[in-house]
Amino acid sequence: MTRPRTPEADRIHADFDEVWGTPPGWRALTVVNHTTIGLRFMLTGIAFFLVGGLFAMLVRAQLALPGLDVLTPELYNQAFTMHGTVMMFLFAVPIMEGLAVYLLPKMLGARDLVYPRLSAFGYWCYLFGGLILMSSVVLGVAPDTGWFMYTPLSSVPHSPGPNPDFWLIGITFAEISAVSAGVELVVAILRTRAPGMSLDRMPLYAWYILVMAMMIVVGFPPLILGSILLELERAADFAFFDVARGGDPVLWQHLFWLFGHPEVYIIFLPAAGIVSTLLPVFAQRPLVAYTPVVLAVLATGFISFALWVHHMFTVGIPQLAQAFFSAASMLVAVPTGVQVFAWLATLWLGRPLWKVPMLWLAGFLFVFVAGGLTGVMLALVPFNWQVHDTQFVVAHLHYVLVGGMFFPLVAGVYYWLPHFSGRMPSARLGRYGFWLVFVGFNLTFLVMHWTGLLGMPRRVYTYEEGLGWDLPNLVSSIGSFVMAIGVATVLIDIALHFRFGRRATANPWHADTLEWATSLPPGPYNFASLPQIDSRHPLWERDGLADEIAHGRHGLPGIAHGRRETWGVEPLSGRVREIIHLPGNTLLPFVVAVLLAVVCIGLLAKIYLLAVAFALAATAGVLRWSWENGAHPCAAPDATTPPDHPPLHSRTRDGPGLWGMNLTLLANGALYLSLLFSWFYLWTVAPAWQIPASGAARGGGLLLASTVLLTVASFALRQIVLRLARGIGAGAVGGFVAITALGLASAGLLGYALLDPRLAPTATAHDALVVFILGYSLFHCALAALATALQVGRLRAGYVGAGMPYELLVVARLWYYAAAVGWSSYAALVLFPAAWGAA
Amino acid sequence: MKPSPFHPLQIPLGLVVWSVWFVALYAGLAVACEVARPAPGEGAPLLNVGFGVFTLATAGLLALSASACLRALRREPERPPRDRFVARVGAAVHLIALAATLFIGVPLLGLPPCV
Repeated sequence: MTRPRTPEADRIHADFDEVWGTPPGWRALTVVNHTTIGLRFMLTGIAFFLVGGLFAMLVRAQLALPGLDVLTPELYNQAFTMHGTVMMFLFAVPIMEGLAVYLLPKMLGARDLVYPRLSAFGYWCYLFGGLILMSSVVLGVAPDTGWFMYTPLSSVPHSPGPNPDFWLIGITFAEISAVSAGVELVVAILRTRAPGMSLDRMPLYAWYILVMAMMIVVGFPPLILGSILLELERAADFAFFDVARGGDPVLWQHLFWLFGHPEVYIIFLPAAGIVSTLLPVFAQRPLVAYTPVVLAVLATGFISFALWVHHMFTVGIPQLAQAFFSAASMLVAVPTGVQVFAWLATLWLGRPLWKVPMLWLAGFLFVFVAGGLTGVMLALVPFNWQVHDTQFVVAHLHYVLVGGMFFPLVAGVYYWLPHFSGRMPSARLGRYGFWLVFVGFNLTFLVMHWTGLLGMPRRVYTYEEGLGWDLPNLVSSIGSFVMAIGVATVLIDIALHFRFGRRATANPWHADTLEWATSLPPGPYNFASLPQIDSRHPLWERDGLADEIAHGRHGLPGIAHGRRETWGVEPLSGRVREIIHLPGNTLLPFVVAVLLAVVCIGLLAKIYLLAVAFALAATAGVLRWSWENGAHPCAAPDATTPPDHPPLHSRTRDGPGLWGMNLTLLANGALYLSLLFSWFYLWTVAPAWQIPASGAARGGGLLLASTVLLTVASFALRQIVLRLARGIGAGAVGGFVAITALGLASAGLLGYALLDPRLAPTATAHDALVVFILGYSLFHCALAALATALQVGRLRAGYVGAGMPYELLVVARLWYYAAAVGWSSYAALVLFPAAWGAA
Repeated sequence: MKPSPFHPLQIPLGLVVWSVWFVALYAGLAVACEVARPAPGEGAPLLNVGFGVFTLATAGLLALSASACLRALRREPERPPRDRFVARVGAAVHLIALAATLFIGVPLLGLPPCV
C-alpha cells in the first residue's frame, strides 16, 4: 500500500474484502471482478503476443536471404497465417479490451463492470478459443491460407485438411469475448459512472472505449456470420461461396472486410485513448480541444465502416463505387489528423516531462503518422492497384498497427505499472528497450516499403537472387531481430521492476483521472466509497479526494448488507437513479466456457453427437446462470436499502440488463443484416445464381404462420409485463406458459418448413441461404420460448413478479426481435423474389 | 419523431444518417447497374443525376438538423453545460456528416456508374 492508512480505513478495507475478496487456489476460477479479469486478459494477450512474435521471427528468418529453406513452403504458409491471426485476434483486440476492462470502472468511479460473470465468461472463451487455435500448431495442421481466409483457397477443394476449421471455430469462439466485452463496456460507460460525471466530464479514454466497443458490437458480427457460413460449407457442403452452385467467393471478402477494416480502428482507438490520457499528464496540462477530439473519435468510428472495399480494389468493382471508398479512405485521415494536432498542441502548450511512457508516445506519433501517410497513398485506386499484394502493403499495415497500437500500449503499460505492482518502472532499461524497438521496427518496415515498390509480393516463401530484393530483405530481417531484442528488454525490465522497482507513492505521475485515487495495487472493489464528480480532472482539482474515498466519506460506504454494489446513473447527466447490485464469485462462467470448448472440439473432430450433447449442457449452464439474477438471494443477499437511497436496479424497470439486451440484439441485428446482405448480394451479382425449379418461396406459408404466432405472443407478453409493472400478478404464470407454447409452436412450424425435401442446401446457394435464414428464425423462436419458460419458474419462485417485472422486460425484447426477424425474413424470402419476378 | 436538439441521440444521429446514405448509395449503384445498366455511351448521366439528387437531399437534411441544434443553442442559453455539450456535439456531427456526404459524392460528377 502506498497511501498510509488509518485504522478506520483498514477496518473499512477488511469489511469490503470480506464481500469482494479474491479467493486463492482452485477457487480463483470463480473470480469475476474486473480487476482480476482485466489482468488475466492482458497476461494472456502478452503470452499470445510472444507466440505471434515467434511466427514473425520464423518468417523473417526464412526471407533473410534468397533461396533459404529455414521453413518449407507449407510451414511458411502456416507461419504467416498464424502470425497475422494471433496478433489481430488473440493479442491486439483482447489486450486492449483487457486494459479497458481493468481501467474503466476505476476511471469512471465505479466498483466493477455491470456484468462481472459475462466478463469472466468472455475471458474463458478467449483463452479456450486461443488454445484451440494453438493446438493446431502442435498437431501440425495450423491454418495456412492467410489471416483473412479467402475463399476458394480456404474451401474444401483447395484446403481439404482441418487447417481452416481450426481458424473458423477457434477464432469464432474467441470472438465471443470481444462481443461480450463490447456490450459490457458500452453499458458500463453509459450507466455506471460516478455521480455528477456527465458526458462532458467523462475522461477521454472512456469516449474512445465507448466508440471502440460500439464498433465491436456492430463490426464483429459480419465476420462471425462469414465464419459460420464457411464452416457450414466446409463441414456440410452447403453452397455459399461456390460459383458453380450460385455462390460467390467475393461474398466472403465483403463479410470479412466489413469486419476487417473497422478492426484496424477497433485496435487504434483504444490506443489513441491511451495517448489522450497520458499525454496531458506528462505535458502537465489538460488536453487541448476536448470537444473536437470527441468529435474526431466519433467520426473515425463511423467513417471507418465505409472503407472496407479499399481492400478489394482489384476484384472488379465498378470505378464509381471504388471512388466512393477511395474518398472515404482519404476522409478518415481528417479526424485522425485532428487528434494528432490536438496532441501536438498539448505538447506545445505544456511542459512535457520525458519519462519512459513519453518516449513511447513520441515513437507512436512518428511511426503512426508515417503509416497514416502511406494509408492515404493506398486509398488512391491507381496506386493501390500498383502495390496490391506487395510488401509495401505489409510495411504500411505494420506502421499503422504497430505504431498505432503497440507503441501506445507499451506507454500505457509503463504508465499503469504502479497499478499492477505498486512499484515504479526503471528509467534506464525502459529507455534501452524503447530505442531498440524503435530502431529495429523502422529498419524492418521502412525498408520494406522499397522492397514492395521493387515488386516483391506478399506471402511468397522465398525469392531468387538478382531481383534487387536481397539487401532490403536482409536489412528487414536484421531489423526484426533488433526489435525482438527490444521487446525482450522491455519484458525483462517489467519483470525486474516487480522485484527491484521503487515503491510507488500515491498518484505517482500526478495524474488527473480517478484510477489513481485507488490504493496501489487496488483492492477488488476499487473504492471504499464512491465520490461525486464535478470536473474533468478530479484529482487535479480536489486535493485529498483519494483519502476521503478510502475513509468512506462518499457514496455507498457500507457493506454490512453483504452485496456488491455500485451506482447506476443517467447516461447524460450522471445523476444517480439506482443501486446496481452485482453478482459474486461463481464457477458458472468457467463451466459454461469449458462446455462450449468441448462443443468446438466436437465440431473440429466431426463428432457431432458430442457437440450436441455439450451444447445442451452449456444451455443448461446458461439457464442456471440466468436463474440466479434479480431478486434471487444469490444476487442480492439483503435487498433492503436506506430510505434516502434509490432502489436496487432489479426493482426498477430500466436496469443495465435491459441495456445489455438491447446492445446484444444490436450485435445480433448486425449479424442478421449481414445475412440479408448476403442474400441480396448473391441475388444481384453472383455470376451463376440459380433459383430452383420448384420456386423461390418454399416454406413461405409456414414462415408467415410462425411469424404471426410470434407477433401475437409478443403483444400478449407485453400486456402481461405491463400488468406486472402495475402490480397486478393474477394470471401471469398461465399467460407465460401460453406464450412459451406459442414460441414452441412457432419453432415447430419453422422446423417443419426446414424438413421440406425440395430444399437442397448443398445444391444451390439459394437454398443454402433459405435454410440458414429459416434456421436463424427457428433458433430465435426456440430461444425466446426457453427464456420465457425459465421466467415461469422464476415467477413461481418469486424472483420476478408483480412490482418486479425487470427481467421479464428484458425477455420481452427477445420476442420483439424474433418477431421482427420473422417479418423481415418473410419479406426477403417471399416478397422480394416475387417483386423481382422470380417466385 | 425528431429528438430534441439536447437529446443524447443527437450525438451519433448525423453520422447514422450518413451511414444509411452511404449504404444506400453503394447498394443502389450495384442494383441499378444490375437492373438498368446503361448502354455504353448513353444513360450514364441519368443514374448519376439520380444519385446526385439523393446525395444533395441527404446533405440538405443534415444541414437542417445541424441548423436546428445551433438555433436551439442560441435560443436556450440557460441550459446546463451538459445539455449544451450535447447540442454542440450534435450540430458538429451533423456538419461532419454533411461534409463527408458531399466529399464522397463528388465522384458522381465525373465517373460513369457501371464501368
